[in-house]
Amino acid sequence: MTLTNAPRLTSDRLCLRGPEMRDFDAFAEFHADPLRAPGFGPVYRRDEAWRWFACNIGHWHIHGYGYFIIADQQSDAAIGLSGIWNPEGWPEPELGWVVFAGHEGQGIAFEAASRARQWAYGDLGFATLTSNIYGSNTRSIALARRLGAVYERTYDNVYMGEDQLWRHPEPGALT
Amino acid sequence: MTAIPVLHTKRLELRAPEAVDYPDFKATFSSYRARFMGGPLNAYEAWMLYAAEIGHWQIRGFGMWMVHLRDTGDTVGMAGGWFPAKWPEREIAWIIWPDRAGKGFALEATSRVRHHFYQDKGWETAVSYIDPKNLDSIRLAERLGAQKDHDAATVDGSDACYRHPAPSALKDSQIAHGIEMEIQNYINPLFKPKGWALD
Repeated sequence: MTLTNAPRLTSDRLCLRGPEMRDFDAFAEFHADPLRAPGFGPVYRRDEAWRWFACNIGHWHIHGYGYFIIADQQSDAAIGLSGIWNPEGWPEPELGWVVFAGHEGQGIAFEAASRARQWAYGDLGFATLTSNIYGSNTRSIALARRLGAVYERTYDNVYMGEDQLWRHPEPGALT
Repeated sequence: MTAIPVLHTKRLELRAPEAVDYPDFKATFSSYRARFMGGPLNAYEAWMLYAAEIGHWQIRGFGMWMVHLRDTGDTVGMAGGWFPAKWPEREIAWIIWPDRAGKGFALEATSRVRHHFYQDKGWETAVSYIDPKNLDSIRLAERLGAQKDHDAATVDGSDACYRHPAPSALKDSQIAHGIEMEIQNYINPLFKPKGWALD
């Protein structure tokens, strides 16, 4: 059953679609992983991950955007998250990405975040986008650079604490 | 997606929580009123909880309604079902904004949602998890006919489980008539405590 009104976007290898409950196990596993979760938030127990999963669905209903599930085009299985995130207290709408264990190193986050950014600029009419990244998250910073984003400032995030704000190129600079 | 039904009582209309109602929710959940519900919350936490309330409807097919006054449309609180991960059983929950308390809205709304869950959704039992210090909510649970279930699992051991009467116990029973009479004949109490409520 669909839980959101998220569109289904495709890129070369991937599909970006709305979250479904069948994606929850993979998400909870990611969020419990002490190696991978900390760039995204604290390590979560399963019930805490469930709350965040419900938040993301509500986020789609409130804003009309949120985190897509990155799915493999063939299997439709969840291999990560990418989308636009903007809860109250966030400095600005954020382009975010996460790739689950076993799917890293294949350019999946780059491909998905590029597609989500294209959607936010082209379909939602965003004029700018940022990404919030921990200074220690060198892999995400490398990806932000590959996406053309530049470091803007360090600030105190209401959820993450000390955090870096990276700004993406404007829509006109990408065409 | 789950279509959220609209429920009515004599004075109230229960509707889906909408983005436009969020400021009312935030005002209460960032106040002392929310102390028995994990609060007070900061703005981020309040927003995330509100989003989770909406997501809960989609995941579970039921959830918490926003309670409006039929005559003005103002919101006065929320009531409905709550069953996030880790909850042992499906809960009937309620919260009334502090400046709307003491008018019988919680009883009227909660009785209506319980009827919906029992009659329309086929629930055979329901519980409410209440902080043992939350005397107002314990009193409401008792007015609804719920009784403390000492053998039932609780959320985290610091709360008490109140079990609602079974559907059969609410059909033409003394407790059902009593609740109905209290709702239908609700008037402002003649004698009210002076001063402000603590919250």
